[in-house]
Amino acid sequence: MTIRELRSGNKLAVSVEPVTDEDFKKLTVKRYFFNWKKLKGQPLLFKLVHPVSGDILGLMHLLDFPQEDRIEVKLLAVSVENKGVGKHFDRIAGNLIAFTCRLAIAKYGYKACISLIPKTELKPHYIRAYGMMDAGLQVYLDGRPLFNLLKKYIQ
Amino acid sequence: MKKAFAGLTDKQIAESFVLPVKLSIRQQAEASAQLATARAKSLEQAKPVDKLLARILQLRFQLEDYLKSESYQPTRTFGHFLKEYQQLGGKKRKEFAYEINIHETLLSQLISDRREPGEQIFIRLELHSNKTIPASYWFRLVEKKKAYQLQHDSKIRQREKKNVKKSLALQEDDLPVF
Repeated sequence: MTIRELRSGNKLAVSVEPVTDEDFKKLTVKRYFFNWKKLKGQPLLFKLVHPVSGDILGLMHLLDFPQEDRIEVKLLAVSVENKGVGKHFDRIAGNLIAFTCRLAIAKYGYKACISLIPKTELKPHYIRAYGMMDAGLQVYLDGRPLFNLLKKYIQ
Repeated sequence: MKKAFAGLTDKQIAESFVLPVKLSIRQQAEASAQLATARAKSLEQAKPVDKLLARILQLRFQLEDYLKSESYQPTRTFGHFLKEYQQLGGKKRKEFAYEINIHETLLSQLISDRREPGEQIFIRLELHSNKTIPASYWFRLVEKKKAYQLQHDSKIRQREKKNVKKSLALQEDDLPVF
């Protein structure tokens, strides 16, 4: 799992880990766009961490639906300096979504599915960026397209 | 959309965010039904090779997570994971033993943890899985069990005490707590 520093082109190995209570002090709306503190105590909250500084570069909240063999990406955000044209690193969101695929496969095997509910105008971009499939109000990954995303980011 | 996203194109937003979307109860039911239909179609079209790949990746990730965790679970042995591996391919024991060129009896002994696997077994399993599960994972699984046993074996410590004639001049109080 790697991210790319756009200035140097260097790749950096990163990890995705559960958010700890200690992290919440740093999770400001200014830097991470949403009130993550509201989600304190939720079980599936993850962060993507810079390997050297330990800085949190991205955050994600997941919902697990065991009866459907599915994990939903409910909320995801990169840190403020990693959005748009001048961003420092890319592949942060892709790695977080691929991590969700990995979780789903480890838990649900061949029936594994991940999904998200997109804003209408963003749907084609999720489909293009992550190979997601259109299921109307949701976009999702399962089977071969899910393996492809894993391969692109994790293996 | 939020002010914070002003100046970003839709593509840039999708590359960096999944935004919260609230659906009405009717929309939620509609979304679930739509997804269920789409997935049923995907599953129907899945090829046997896709199912096999998913199962082997599942085993690989479970192995990775176990090897990464600090906890030792006595049931999660080499034999346990080997049995899972044999079964995921839908192979009978005899057939699988043939494919990795070992006697069926040896395979049974490995699965029941009555025999220690050698390096050649780790390598054959790696090759058999087309490198999906590296030999080092199987090796580390055996190591993890050995490390746990070594750490908790008081008899061997008692037995070997007599062979240590002199230890470092440190008092128990000097040592940090591990």
